Amino acid sequence: MTKTKTLKNHKEIYLPQKVKILDVVDMTSDVKLYKLEQPKGFFYSPGQFLMASVWGAGEVPISITSSSELHDDIELCVRKVGAVTSALHELKAGDYMGIRGPLGNGFHFEEAYGKDILFVAGGIGIAPLRSLINLVISQKKKFGEIALVYGSRNPSEVLFVPQLLDWKKEGIRTTITVDVKNAECEYCTGIVTEHLTRQKISFKTGHSYICGPHVMLKAVMRDLSLMGMSQDNIITTMEAHMKCGVGKCGHCYADGKYICTDGPVFSYSEIKQYNLLNSP
Amino acid sequence: MKGDFVLSKAHLSYWLRQLRKEFDLIAPLRSVGSDIILNSVSNIHEIALDCPANIPSPKEFIFPQKEEMFKFSDKGVDTLNDSRKRVIFGVRSCDMSAVALLDRFYGGLFEDGFYMSRRRNTFFISIACNNPDPTCFCTGLGTGPYLKSGFDIQLTDLGDRYLVQMDSKEGRSLVKNFRHLFQMPRKADYDDQYEANLSSQSKFEKRITLENVRQKILAGKVDDSFWESVALRCFECGGCVYECPLCTCFNVIDWKETPDKGVRMRLWDTCMFKGFTKMAGNILPAEKKIMRTKRWYFHKLLYYPEQFGKFGCVGCGRCTITCPGRIDMATIANKLD
Repeated sequence: MTKTKTLKNHKEIYLPQKVKILDVVDMTSDVKLYKLEQPKGFFYSPGQFLMASVWGAGEVPISITSSSELHDDIELCVRKVGAVTSALHELKAGDYMGIRGPLGNGFHFEEAYGKDILFVAGGIGIAPLRSLINLVISQKKKFGEIALVYGSRNPSEVLFVPQLLDWKKEGIRTTITVDVKNAECEYCTGIVTEHLTRQKISFKTGHSYICGPHVMLKAVMRDLSLMGMSQDNIITTMEAHMKCGVGKCGHCYADGKYICTDGPVFSYSEIKQYNLLNSP
Repeated sequence: MKGDFVLSKAHLSYWLRQLRKEFDLIAPLRSVGSDIILNSVSNIHEIALDCPANIPSPKEFIFPQKEEMFKFSDKGVDTLNDSRKRVIFGVRSCDMSAVALLDRFYGGLFEDGFYMSRRRNTFFISIACNNPDPTCFCTGLGTGPYLKSGFDIQLTDLGDRYLVQMDSKEGRSLVKNFRHLFQMPRKADYDDQYEANLSSQSKFEKRITLENVRQKILAGKVDDSFWESVALRCFECGGCVYECPLCTCFNVIDWKETPDKGVRMRLWDTCMFKGFTKMAGNILPAEKKIMRTKRWYFHKLLYYPEQFGKFGCVGCGRCTITCPGRIDMATIANKLD
């Protein structure tokens, strides 16, 4: 098992740590990638998240898109959707922001050793998966076939394009699909579920890691399960409105589970058991 | 019990006056009209000793409705911990039981520093309930009217005197320094306590066992049509949550006094509001009212026992008084039992 480090017994669980922004990269019109200076002794697992904090605006949970083992910085992929993310988008390289974490359980991908892996991402859902995909690729020999289905609304919203090419070179079977295609792009069209059946992996023994909007999650998990994948092997990371990230504020509470501390990574069987996608 | 004392009622105000020198003394005080609220005592004789059981819970003093967490400015950030020493007098047994459960909730793996700072500096003098209200049902939950443990100091009214019991080091220290006011208890004092206890237990109008309800829900005998009927009667006022001594949800907001300085604070929040779980992109995971009312009940009836081995309800009856739709814990439990 990867060691999952959290804020455990941290004296001030609500006080953000001040970190320097090393670089800000414009990914699309409304998505930016932040490279943050990593504090000493900071270690995280793929799938864990941070509470990103801007004094005066507030805090939002953002998943970490870099991998502790492979990157020297912490990378966050932020889409501008509300007050806090808008305030984050005002920040430039050299500015400081607050972080609390790492929080949450993270992916325990050791369970997929020797098996095929299917990654399914929708929109900005590629961000938390990227942390895991890079780590899996770095230990490629330990896994069987690796495939990725990544859906976006339109070609201009596809994130991490150069990285997607690298992954392809590494032998990942990559399917990029968009809702609306323009003339010169080579992406497929349609929603991600339309491309699941064509993946060259063993659905019976394979593992799947999924992240995307709720509607997509529901459809993909249902379809994979119908195609014979074990519900314990269909793993997803959930998003929720969180204020504290440490199981106190109650905002992400659903059927006896806190998405922040018990998750955000859950298997399909857990999601069904705790009614997480349709809380209560 | 060894270590117990007896305090003559004539000495009570003197003792409290002495405690007030060292602590902020909080007690039930008569407010406007017939309202009684817990507040800082300036005149000892204003303390309402004969108040009904349903005064607001002392939750406010350890988890305030509005709590400033951090002050920020361009110069830096200050953590605002409230470590004022408080003694809260006249707390009910049910509320004392609730505090014990709150301690476990805010403690644990992630310890809430703001809560703990207040809690470590707050001591309780609880009064066992000789006269439960018609809305009380602590007796069925073991959270009252008399406590065997889990208090700092427990007083039992024996007419002209109080039996004084202590269950914590802090509680004993509040008595130790004024030892000359207290007498050793005699057998007659315990006989009177026994009698007061029995008489109180017999006065409860509501006899509710939540365990039966829990078993019924677990066995799948309560279907969604029942919760639909509950949701239909919910006004989404959040009264049950604000009044509940065990509801702990909060929201965090940043407030700017000037462009470069401000306060990050937390405020009580309620899961009964539609926007409580609102996510980025205006997604409302609990848009339907049934999801929210059911979640409140399930949290208290199923998940509290799962997590802490105790119900998320102490039978204080406040939701019964406050709920305009009559879908409070006691009514629902009675319907399901």
